[in-house]
Amino acid sequence: MTFSDETLMAYADGELDGPSRAAVEAAMAADPEVARRIAQHRALRSRLHTAFDPVLAEPLPERLLAAARGTVLQSSPGKVTALRRAPARWSWPQWGALAASLLLGALLGPWLVRAPGRAALITDDGAVLAAGTLARALSEQLASNQPADAAVQIGVSFRSRGGDYCRTFVLREKSVLAGLACREHGAWRLETLAASESAAAAGGEYRAAATALPPAVAGTLEELIAGEPLDANAEAAARERGWKY
Amino acid sequence: MSGPDLHAQLVALLPRLRRFARALARNAHDADDLVQLALERALEHAGQARADAPLGGWMFGIVRNAWIDELRARGRRARVFAPAESAEHVGDASQSGYAEVLSVQEALGRLPEEQRSAVALVLIEGLSYKEAAHIMQVPIGTLTSRLARGREALQKMLGES
Repeated sequence: MTFSDETLMAYADGELDGPSRAAVEAAMAADPEVARRIAQHRALRSRLHTAFDPVLAEPLPERLLAAARGTVLQSSPGKVTALRRAPARWSWPQWGALAASLLLGALLGPWLVRAPGRAALITDDGAVLAAGTLARALSEQLASNQPADAAVQIGVSFRSRGGDYCRTFVLREKSVLAGLACREHGAWRLETLAASESAAAAGGEYRAAATALPPAVAGTLEELIAGEPLDANAEAAARERGWKY
Repeated sequence: MSGPDLHAQLVALLPRLRRFARALARNAHDADDLVQLALERALEHAGQARADAPLGGWMFGIVRNAWIDELRARGRRARVFAPAESAEHVGDASQSGYAEVLSVQEALGRLPEEQRSAVALVLIEGLSYKEAAHIMQVPIGTLTSRLARGREALQKMLGES
């Protein structure tokens, strides 16, 4: 009698009972090949245990004990949409819901106060709009085809739940600014911004910054996105239409 | 289930939840993030925990769902940020060529999510096929074939075929 590998696997996992179990045991006694395959299934289980059981003996992290006891103080535990990830070398002060007042902040100041025509951000009736190089890149640059050393790197382009086109970007000059802007009424309105405290980003770090979205931006992306990001063709088509739909 | 009772049981489950999460997400920090997220979700929906059903099964399901959510989010980011994702893997065993020897953790990490979950639930957590199928919300036959394919792939990668 021959057995499928699934049957032998089920036997090794203790999932067979009564007659099927007895039949496999008889085959094991008679056929070394059957015995070998079952031993192999058992050996894999034991290798997995050897690899992962040490986790059981690790001291429990305080934050998990607190979470299990329900004593963790989270601002909104239900709204966590992505894993919290500690930035390696970057520290990103972040702002959602932009207010004009923060434009006076020391961090954003340098992006606003520039020679006329060179500011990356401007305010308009309480909203923050992209300007200059940033606005140009948002309107014209394709993520699928952009120079690696461009001052603005476009990340994800997508349609928001409200139907607007939105794009994430990283802007690097003396410091690094990451954000998400949506096309509304012919302008790129900033939905969220995160600034790196690191003043001069080295080439390698710049790359990391450009490709890893700061949590604030990733969070806003998750919140706004309807469906999937645009692929290269859809991105090019949206640009052709002037980011209108 | 009353509050203090539930909290005590969750604390008792922590080591296994961490082991399960570690099998899903190789990185220890990511794994603990998953457990924390699952604990928060569980306490939010504590009313859904059934006193007559094992809490473990319910919690494993929440950890796995949190992991699937994370994979989807990563997938969205990866489609545009592909270079960064591949940069993460520089120096990975995949570059060492034909004579590659993978650790058990690496090998498990290469399985598709469905097979990885099946292997973790049955072979590491020791759940029955029925319990694992219930957690993954699939028929037993589906669970069995995922487990069989996962096993076969692992044995090949680990040089036991």
